[in-house]
Amino acid sequence: MADQSIAGPAGVMMAGEGDRSGRARLVIGLSCVVLALAVFLSLTSGASDASAVKVVGDWLSGAAPVDAALDARDRLIVYDIRLPRVVLGMLIGAALAVSGAVMQGLFRNPLADPGLIGVSAGASLGAVSVIVLGASVLLPVTALFGTFALPLAAFCGGLTVTLLLYTVATRQGRTSVATMLLAGLAMAALAMALTGILIFMADDRQLRDLTFWQLGSLAGATWQKIGSVGPIIVLSLAAMPFLARGLNALALGEATAGHLGIPVQRLKYTAIVGVSAAVGASVAVSGGIGFVGIVVPHLLRLLIGPDNRYLLPASALLGASLLLLADAVARTIVAPAELPIGIVTAIAGAPFFLWILLRKRGIVDL
Amino acid sequence: MIEARDVSVDIGGKRIVGGVDFDARPGEIAAIVGPNGSGKTTFLKALSGELAYTGTVTLNGRNLSAMKPVEVAVQRAVLPQATTLSFPFTVREVVKLGLVGGRSGALPGEDARLPERALARVDLDGFAGRFYQELSGGEQQRVQLARVLCQVWAPVLDGRPRYLFLDEPVSSLDIKHQLIIMNIARDFARRGGGVVAILHDLNLTAMYADRIFVMHRGRLAATGSPREVLSDDLIEKVFDCRLKVGVLPTGNTPFVLPQSAA
Repeated sequence: MADQSIAGPAGVMMAGEGDRSGRARLVIGLSCVVLALAVFLSLTSGASDASAVKVVGDWLSGAAPVDAALDARDRLIVYDIRLPRVVLGMLIGAALAVSGAVMQGLFRNPLADPGLIGVSAGASLGAVSVIVLGASVLLPVTALFGTFALPLAAFCGGLTVTLLLYTVATRQGRTSVATMLLAGLAMAALAMALTGILIFMADDRQLRDLTFWQLGSLAGATWQKIGSVGPIIVLSLAAMPFLARGLNALALGEATAGHLGIPVQRLKYTAIVGVSAAVGASVAVSGGIGFVGIVVPHLLRLLIGPDNRYLLPASALLGASLLLLADAVARTIVAPAELPIGIVTAIAGAPFFLWILLRKRGIVDL
Repeated sequence: MIEARDVSVDIGGKRIVGGVDFDARPGEIAAIVGPNGSGKTTFLKALSGELAYTGTVTLNGRNLSAMKPVEVAVQRAVLPQATTLSFPFTVREVVKLGLVGGRSGALPGEDARLPERALARVDLDGFAGRFYQELSGGEQQRVQLARVLCQVWAPVLDGRPRYLFLDEPVSSLDIKHQLIIMNIARDFARRGGGVVAILHDLNLTAMYADRIFVMHRGRLAATGSPREVLSDDLIEKVFDCRLKVGVLPTGNTPFVLPQSAA
């Protein structure tokens, strides 16, 4: 790898050597195409035979009715089952990948991932609390916030874990990776134990609601669910690009970022709240879907480098695509039944994670 | 002008720096010297707003503790002893981070070429496309200096002098690059900026410093021009080491002095 020039093919980039912004824009453009294809694939594939041709025909029929238009049943399948699922998948994929990238910037380590270090477990605890205790102890909360109670509780759970983790693992601007991973492990174990107590208390109907949390799934996506978590995810994703320059500077260390004029405290707390909100909202509707936040940013860093101004939007696009493709696999591989998507992402993501560790043993400096 | 009055820093209940008075004037290199653990770096961290302190520090007449990070960053840049990076940035990307505040002071349109020019100044021409993490310690230090130079490219901005804070800028460099870096510092001062540098090499200090601040056990042991400060008695007291100033070694021991460089 030494001395390898990373400038693109001769003539492609006008800017100087070591400038990867041209390549980054290209990758972002290609990611848009990949996402469009993934959306198309998701809308047109599934257990029903509402085929691609018919769907396209239906779109075109808005202007002039044609024979290829969908019948009422297929229209229901495409617009009320597949479309909300696609929208939710994109929102959650983008949220998870961007959260991973931001968290890695914040902790200054490519292994920080909300699923890995307990943030998702904390969010699950919050969500399960509302499901099990929503009609009794937490009735005032559910009464006050309605459909927002679930994502809000997940957000609080995730936020608590992230704040605790940052306090424990960071001393004088240096984050100990070993402490971060182990503390995250401990907190995930604690959150899961408390979740276990709640599950123990749950009745049969609640148990059915809870089962999918353990595995993660996009099944049961409805426009109503999108309405309750969509705004939270969109809002937190919209805030992330403003952190990009600060996160870049943070790669030099907290002190140096401060010397460059970055308001480091504000940056850190904005990042923590944003990540907790995005992860909390995702967990609230789809449970724990792992590894998206670690695989997508890592692959992109290999392609375009670690500049967050490009890494964050590219992560959003590719995260959304990846989750749609994983969902397509989950829906079709054992059709007409379907696999929880969390299983698909874990089967693909866990070996990838091990591969990162093997390739760069220096990352975890225990 | 930077003025520090009665600055003290406590860390973990222990006084590391006590009652230091310090001035850095535009047009001058102010060198801070002293043995390991004498509080030099801690004092510089207080001066750069990184550590909490008691006493007062003013930066061009404004109280440092009342300034926002972004305002301070316009007026001074800081080179730490060593900087490790958490992600595989290229050299050019690292240097470009110096422009994050957007007030380099270069002519309009020049910012885009600034990383290359800064790298050329620290003798790293052609390194822009290399990965920072693959460079040697001395090369990394010079990349960081190029980044710092980008931040305050013009030594004077809006009629106000700007400052370079350098914590052991030459400690990991060979003699050629030590001289290159010190000449960059002198040039910055001659063009109206101010330089505060922690140095270990007393010969380089004698050569380049306009004023020397000698620290000993967290306090200021002496202040003045190299001629006033560098005396046999003071060096023995502060560094606990019998050295003679301005005396050639006896016998045939070879010796090499930066002062002898043409």
